[in-house]
Amino acid sequence: MASLDRRAFLRTSGLAGLALGLAACGGGGTSTGGGGEGGGFGAVKLQLSWKKNVEFAGEYFADSKGYYKAAGFSQVELLSGGGSGTSVESGLATGRCWIGLSAPTITAPAVLQGAQLKIVGATFQKNPFAIISLGKNPIEDPKALVGKRIGVQDSNELVWNALLKANEIDPASVTRVPFQSDPSMLTSGQLDGYVGFVTSGPVRLKMQGVDATYLLFADHGLPLAAETFTVRQETIDNERDKLKAFLTAEIKGWKDAVADPAKSAEMAANTYGKDLNLDVKEQTEEAKMQNELVVTPDAKANGLFTMTPELIAQNVESLGKAGLAVKAEQLFDLSVLDEVYQADPSLKLA
Amino acid sequence: MIGRTVLRVVGPLLPSVLIVVAAWWLFLEAFGISPLVGKRPHQVWEYLFTVPEAAAHRDAVFGALGITIRDAAIGFTTGMVAAVVVAMTFVLFRTVEQTFMPVAMLLRSVPLVVMTPLITLVFGRDLLGVAVIGGIVVFFPALVNIAFGLRSASPQATDLVMAYGGTRTTVLRKVAVPTAMPSVFASARISVPSSIIGALIAEWLATGQGIGAEILRAIGGFRYDEVWADIVVVTSVSIVAYAAVGVVESLVLARFSDTR
Repeated sequence: MASLDRRAFLRTSGLAGLALGLAACGGGGTSTGGGGEGGGFGAVKLQLSWKKNVEFAGEYFADSKGYYKAAGFSQVELLSGGGSGTSVESGLATGRCWIGLSAPTITAPAVLQGAQLKIVGATFQKNPFAIISLGKNPIEDPKALVGKRIGVQDSNELVWNALLKANEIDPASVTRVPFQSDPSMLTSGQLDGYVGFVTSGPVRLKMQGVDATYLLFADHGLPLAAETFTVRQETIDNERDKLKAFLTAEIKGWKDAVADPAKSAEMAANTYGKDLNLDVKEQTEEAKMQNELVVTPDAKANGLFTMTPELIAQNVESLGKAGLAVKAEQLFDLSVLDEVYQADPSLKLA
Repeated sequence: MIGRTVLRVVGPLLPSVLIVVAAWWLFLEAFGISPLVGKRPHQVWEYLFTVPEAAAHRDAVFGALGITIRDAAIGFTTGMVAAVVVAMTFVLFRTVEQTFMPVAMLLRSVPLVVMTPLITLVFGRDLLGVAVIGGIVVFFPALVNIAFGLRSASPQATDLVMAYGGTRTTVLRKVAVPTAMPSVFASARISVPSSIIGALIAEWLATGQGIGAEILRAIGGFRYDEVWADIVVVTSVSIVAYAAVGVVESLVLARFSDTR
């Protein structure tokens, strides 16, 4: 009885190891939260909404130029998004990330389900969601969707439904085809159109010599923001300074990014998204196009990521059309960002 | 006889269901997964049965489940029938086996998820595509098992049939097929869960209907109640179908046991 055979030993030590692992997991979430001494905010994780392409140029600048470090972060890990199951909201709810880039259409249902999350800023003032189709078989009006085969990613489920609802189109009248992110399904004739970012698909298709056209969601009842900074409510309540420091670094990074599309593209293609086989020329075009969504007249006047009360009201109204009855104060809290700009107005675009 | 067999196969399932439910709950608690994402058993119960919208939830979940069961049945049938036919051909014609078995194994090693876009391009996104995707998942393990079963026919019995003037087809019918019955059912049993996996892959990548598609949409829409309800129903169906094949297996093998 007293003798400890090998198997029993392994069993107990295995359990102990599991317990240690659990303790480490538990600790991981809180240790990143502490350590406020001397501006040392430790390491945090930023969950991106998509793969590491030029959409996150500002983050690449903030990282490579040391803006995160200067703000007091030992490391900001950029977690690649895309694919299923890595949504910012579930990452925040389970503590896998500290902050994330998401979209109001994805955050609102999580908030309505009881998740304590807030949007504290928006990189893209206008959302780049679009139905992308070929010039020879164009879909330029929502009514033209009826009877068409449209590729929709599962993560775009909500935006897609919102578009249909906002334009009073019966979902049964459109054939929805499972879609990952491959625009070649359009050229091979398996699809009549797909839901994607206007900044990437049309550019890529044009580079291949294919004439593409698009229908912007923002022009058809859904003037939503996108790439929105999303955090837990407790972060706003307990780590306000840390969040302000983070947003400051982000603003600096994005100021550089909008000023230099070529460098943005180069960083995306050669460093951060190296394994994605991105084309620098194509990414440069994308960067130029996305600047129009990031640097709107309001953003010029008030600073990057800011959202005017009118813009917030528009977002809430659009969400309402999509059947997401969320109130502005449940979803948005721009006060942190306002404080950042009040403290240092020089962060605004010159 | 049937009642007792059913009890013998299904009886042990009850404690295992309890263990699974307990493990599910304990795992989420131990890792501190937020109840917003990691739904507990009682939350799934409430989602399906007690909340005011429960009827609509059941329609959504069981509607999708019906499609998945149909897709799995198509894949299961296609894969098993193809495996039996090909295995018989292999046993009757040795050269066919030597030529095609390596090719089959090579195809088997290509991940299905990689092949699916090609399959949808060739066979379309309808039931034919589902049959091919589901069939592939079921076909290869079943083929190897059944071919092995057919070839382990007793040499004495084979010689006897041949000595009385029987052909190779007679040997197959009288000796090899009864001998292979345990292998056929073993493959059928392992094919039940894999046919459901095949159906889920087909739905995710090809048809966009059924649990395989809905579960990912539910994740995209932060509807984790639905996600967990989908997991529960599809797992239950898998267990029940596995048990059902087990019952049929016991009954059929009891019938054939004197030939073994």
